[in-house]
Amino acid sequence: MRLRSIRLTPYVFIAPFFVVFGAFGLYPLIYALQLSFMRWRGGSEARWVGLDNYLYLLTSPEFWSSLGNSAVMWLLIVPIQIVAGLGGAVLLANAKLRLRGFFRVAFIAPFVTPLVAMAQVWIVVFDQDYGLINYLLNMVGLPDVGWLTSTAWSKPTLALLFLWKTTGFAIIILLAGLQAVPGGVYEAASLDGASRWRQFWSITVPLVRRSMAFLVVIQTLAVFQMFAEPFVVTEGGPYGSTTTAGLYLYDHITASDLGTGAANSFLLVLLVFGLSLVSVRMLRPKDEVS
Amino acid sequence: MSQNRPGIGQYVLLTLLAIVFLYPIWWAVSSSLKPAAEIIASPLSIGELTLDNYRAMFADVPIGTGFLNTAIVLLVKGGMTMVFCPLAGYAFAKYDFPFKNLLFGVVLLTLMLPTLVLIIPLLLEMSALGWVNTYQALILPGSVDAFSIFWMRQTIAAIPNELIDAGRVDGAGEFGIFYKVVLPVIRPGLAALAVLTTMNIYNDFVWPVVAVNDTAHQTLQVVLSTLAQNVTGNRIGADFATVWGELLAAGSIAMLPLLVIFVLLQRHFINGILAGSVKG
Repeated sequence: MRLRSIRLTPYVFIAPFFVVFGAFGLYPLIYALQLSFMRWRGGSEARWVGLDNYLYLLTSPEFWSSLGNSAVMWLLIVPIQIVAGLGGAVLLANAKLRLRGFFRVAFIAPFVTPLVAMAQVWIVVFDQDYGLINYLLNMVGLPDVGWLTSTAWSKPTLALLFLWKTTGFAIIILLAGLQAVPGGVYEAASLDGASRWRQFWSITVPLVRRSMAFLVVIQTLAVFQMFAEPFVVTEGGPYGSTTTAGLYLYDHITASDLGTGAANSFLLVLLVFGLSLVSVRMLRPKDEVS
Repeated sequence: MSQNRPGIGQYVLLTLLAIVFLYPIWWAVSSSLKPAAEIIASPLSIGELTLDNYRAMFADVPIGTGFLNTAIVLLVKGGMTMVFCPLAGYAFAKYDFPFKNLLFGVVLLTLMLPTLVLIIPLLLEMSALGWVNTYQALILPGSVDAFSIFWMRQTIAAIPNELIDAGRVDGAGEFGIFYKVVLPVIRPGLAALAVLTTMNIYNDFVWPVVAVNDTAHQTLQVVLSTLAQNVTGNRIGADFATVWGELLAAGSIAMLPLLVIFVLLQRHFINGILAGSVKG
């Protein structure tokens, strides 16, 4: 009796996850796959159309421009975040640093703020006519910039919001990697005459490679799903310049074009998985390649 | 790089970074307390303080309802996470059972599943169940999440097996061991899980904005976003300034509870992220 109950116990403990995942994860996933092969617009009957939705998307300029917008956002965000995150982590890693706790809290505070609230602040701060940033630019004699109204600046302005909000998180993740470094390693290296720059490339970077790979993967997922920032701040404009892959997917919902939307989400998943695999491979330490 | 005493340059850099990270928050909160016209006329100065923006905002949007709905979702969904995820993490960390690795693999795979792929079919599922505009729709999806299980497994795996065996020798039941032996030991990890979960649920936006379209069930973030969408419609004259004041007031009031929780529990929170992340 007792043995039997122990044998069942672990299954009972993990059951809630599988019930919730089955009902609200696996079932919708299978349903979405089926839906992606069907045409279902507005109130019409759903009907099987095979690969039509996929072909439609792959030949649609809007789909490619949404991916292009997300790709540009990725380029504006991920490399900068890795460099800034590593810089911040190196600055914080020293145990003799005073006010260390304060700096950690300061850097991660934006990560805790609700995105929608900060997106609203961005609307106000980056307003072309009355915003704080242009006010400051005018003060030093520079002209107004259409941060959210010009197609050239709309993406960098949203990228800035994303960077501001999540770089503190990147700093903490990389700090975790750095703190695994025994202090003596650096002392031995400087005794051997290694320059600080050399120490950085030969000791620090290899040690945080895994954390960097982790960051690149989760931020790739996040950037290609980016939704709230353009939804609240720019509504995808001006001229579709901030219609990210995530926002374009939402457009299928508002247009009641659910089959195409489902196909779109699978194309997005394939792309994101592919990108994640590539970045993990590139960031993997050389001796681990097998 | 080495552990020398940090130089003045390092402090200057850190201070500049801290200003960049903190100033937008400070500016939003302080500006929300200024007369609306002043936010536009002199964005840098702080002169007269007023609660007018907050009064106007409370009159215009059902922010109280938003807070209440967020609190309900937070209590139930967060409660489910706090009960079921440590249990599952314990099972994966300390039991051997058939298909364990396969099942844990499924948990890890769902970590990689983007929310977006599920949105459309979930929405259809909700409408088939008649759950659009209900609390169930806001609470149940994602209520026992893979990340929390994965992370609780890591935390619990660090507990020595002898401790658990000792509980078994004392004749405690399996759940009793979890409750009396495991939970007290992982208390710091649980505190961090509570902060992370609170943050995720409080800030969640994509699913609530899709699943709910009546005012009565909107969560705080959804209420806020409808206010933001009024801005584009109100870009003229005095109305414009008023909406700005309301936006900043709403943003500030939504930010503060989490910031306060965060500052009080920051040690747990940061250690939680540190412990949950991948180490070199």
